[in-house]
Amino acid sequence: MIRVPDLLESEEYRILRKDAAAYAEKALAPQAEQLDLNPENQDLRKIISQAGELGMLAALLPESLGGGGLDDYAFCLVLEEIATKEAGIATSLLVHNAALFPASLGESEIPASWLEPSSFPACLAYPCEIRENEGKLDGGAAFAFNAVDSRIITLLLQDQGEISVALVEREEKGVEVNADPYQMGLRAARAGSILLRGAKPLQVFPGANIKETVERILFLGLASIAVGITRNSLERSYAYAKERYQGGKIIIQHQQMRLFLAEMLTSIEQSRAAINRACATPELVPAASAWLLATSRAVQSATDGVQIHGGYGYMRDYGMERLMRDAKYCQMYPLTVQEVLLKILERMEAN
Amino acid sequence: MFRKEPSEIGKRVLKDSPILAALREHDREGIDGIIRLVEGCDEYNRRVALPRALELDQRMEREPEYFDWVIMREACRYRIFSLAIPESLGGMAGKYMVTGMALAVEELCSACGGIGLALAAHSLGVSPLVASGAMAHWETVLREIVEEEKKGNPVVMAYAITEPSAGTDVEEPEFLQVAKIGMEAKKVNGGYLLNGRKCFISGGSEAKYFTVTAATDRRRPLETWTTFLVEREMPGFSTPRVELKMGQRACHAAELNFEDVFVPQSHVLGFEGDGMANGILIIMAASRGPVGAIATGIARGAYQHFLSWTKTVRGGKRPIDQERIQMALADMQALIQESRGLYLAHSLCGDALFRRAFTHPLFKSAFLLPRKLRTSRAYSAFLNSYYGKSMVNAIFRRFIRDEDITDMLSKASLAKFTCADNSMELISRALELMGVNDSPERLWVEKCYRDAKLTQIYEGTNQLNRLVVYNVEIAGTLKIEVPRPFKRGVR
Ligand SMILES: Cc1cc2nc3c(=O)[nH]c(=O)nc-3n(C[C@H](O)[C@H](O)[C@H](O)COP(=O)(O)OP(=O)(O)OC[C@H]3O[C@@H](n4cnc5c(N)ncnc54)[C@H](O)[C@@H]3O)c2cc1C
Repeated sequence: MIRVPDLLESEEYRILRKDAAAYAEKALAPQAEQLDLNPENQDLRKIISQAGELGMLAALLPESLGGGGLDDYAFCLVLEEIATKEAGIATSLLVHNAALFPASLGESEIPASWLEPSSFPACLAYPCEIRENEGKLDGGAAFAFNAVDSRIITLLLQDQGEISVALVEREEKGVEVNADPYQMGLRAARAGSILLRGAKPLQVFPGANIKETVERILFLGLASIAVGITRNSLERSYAYAKERYQGGKIIIQHQQMRLFLAEMLTSIEQSRAAINRACATPELVPAASAWLLATSRAVQSATDGVQIHGGYGYMRDYGMERLMRDAKYCQMYPLTVQEVLLKILERMEAN
Repeated sequence: MFRKEPSEIGKRVLKDSPILAALREHDREGIDGIIRLVEGCDEYNRRVALPRALELDQRMEREPEYFDWVIMREACRYRIFSLAIPESLGGMAGKYMVTGMALAVEELCSACGGIGLALAAHSLGVSPLVASGAMAHWETVLREIVEEEKKGNPVVMAYAITEPSAGTDVEEPEFLQVAKIGMEAKKVNGGYLLNGRKCFISGGSEAKYFTVTAATDRRRPLETWTTFLVEREMPGFSTPRVELKMGQRACHAAELNFEDVFVPQSHVLGFEGDGMANGILIIMAASRGPVGAIATGIARGAYQHFLSWTKTVRGGKRPIDQERIQMALADMQALIQESRGLYLAHSLCGDALFRRAFTHPLFKSAFLLPRKLRTSRAYSAFLNSYYGKSMVNAIFRRFIRDEDITDMLSKASLAKFTCADNSMELISRALELMGVNDSPERLWVEKCYRDAKLTQIYEGTNQLNRLVVYNVEIAGTLKIEVPRPFKRGVR
């Protein structure tokens, strides 16, 4: 395995990282292929229940509310480690947490059952177009991760500029979920579209900055997942390049292969620096910038990783092509690259 | 005489490829022949490919062994199995063999890269038979393909060069010299015994005939590299498995297994030992342009789906009304037009080259002999003899000179990697602009993304193709030298 520069993290983070890595290695790595090919046949709740020990089932809620009480950086590093083995599960956990988080802002207490593995995965309908009308919700979200397996859906409503949050139960009348016809990547977080027709929400509460806070979590989380994918690409490609003999030498001795690998390595370094910086501030722009960088680097790394593997990279058994599909999806959600760029500028102009 | 107006498709082709519009002023008949091919492919797409492309792609992820023979049978009507077969044998390859092939392939791949590959890989399998001038088999194998096609029965061929331990290495002489070759064709009485494996062979599980390269001495692969015609029915031959691919799934990538497969001497295409210079390199010189066309077709398909997405209303607005999307669409046009320009320049040069041989009176006169004679044993024995092969070879070599082929190889390689990279760039960008959404177009563009990646890998990885351009254009170290039998004296 190739070394990546040490992060010199504090003891606490170090231990968390080790535990997360051990969980990913044990619970996810052996099933990574099946989680991609047949996510519907996997017992996601069982796979995920051990992630609870990492505080990942309600990571962002304070411990006083029964949550994991992880800070942003801890949350990111756990996602990175998990994504190093299976990015779909990491996405599922991210979205689950982003969906639970707004609940902590509500007046009423969070039901204890929501913090149990059985509530997993919660779904976040964002972006969505939903209106509240006399206590009933109408509208929908075109694409939401976890929609298919979810029991709880968190909706971010936008009404005349005021954002509020609504929670609905999946089983509620007027809630319709249609599985995505063919999800290209991050398949363990089974996505679908959500349609609400006069659905009665469980709770509705105002939350002035909530949209931005949730966006920030998504950006940070997806950036970290992207780093995990890049690490996975690097590990696989490095190992393969040292084995494969072609052109009279092992291919790692061909300069172009070395350049590909070096770019993956610097991508990890650059992306982690950006995430680290973004975790240190509540502002949105650093998180969005980290997302832009890390996801585009992951797309490139995974594509180059397939290339290093040659024809074998294109085949499912080598586990490389999955990374290419997963990486692209990190870059396509929650917003498009250009939308995020425009948002960044707008944000800074407003201040 | 009134000028005949081209059809709608014809107008589109001429508009998209100004170079062809200009040529049509000099050679209306020839260019209209190409347009007719494209019209056929367009009809095939609408009738056959488009209605099943998505479903087939999804199904073959679950059932990689499944194969949809309808896509092959329906292609017969449009003579797609005859694209590389000379007109004199009833095929469709006229004076614009390579260009016609490339444009047809772009059209097919604009609907589905996988279906397009299933059809294009057949012509790749045919081409060594044509290019080696193995006329003894033309009257049998190529004739059979043409005759059966007319009856609606696809007779499929595949080209097998890649081995599990040698992919890039079999695409370049310098590398083949140091390659770890697994497969061997041992000389025995009356022919050769083939042992070993080939992998990733497109169409391998459907083909009836294979053009296969193998070393007759594994320790000296370059010097002994030889092309064989193998038939599925030959004892010891099998196709044990197919791969689960990321894209272009409608076409199987199969493993071929050879266990003491006896191949008679008559089934050596060209000469023993000329399988690199007179085999792979000539084939790659002709086929890498059309592979660029595959990439261009996939990109164009993605572009069209993306374009129709930009015209749908999202959140009260149409994406296409926004400047940023308009700029991106212009970039995409640029990528497609650059790609098409490159592969067309290559294929038109290629045609100019091959035309010299195929239209030569001596070559044509061979087809003036009565059919009965041409199919007789004695004639085929003569063509398979050292003198017979040498004669055909001498005609070919006189008109298709080594330096022309070398130059063509470089142009083809440049077109291949540029088209492939452009295709990936365009489609990656389209997805970036669409994001995840619930539109039907997203599913198509995602499929194109998965399909397009393959074009950077097969027919030599893009790295290998860059090395070829360097070695030919800049270093001058890669020079094709086809052995000239008569000059060397009798072996
Ligand atoms: C779906 C599919 C269909 C195919 N169809 C066919 C077919 O019909 N017939 C057929 O014969 N083959 C076919 N192939 C094989 C294809 O041509 C090979 O996969 C390709 O040539 C690459 O070889 P490889 O996979 O062994 O990669 P490798 O050669 O092992 O390459 C691995 C990596 O090393 C790099 N590399 C290798 N050597 C060098 C060097 N000297 N310098 C710099 N970099 C180098 C490559 O660029 C690549 O990035 C197909 C492949 C696929 C995936």
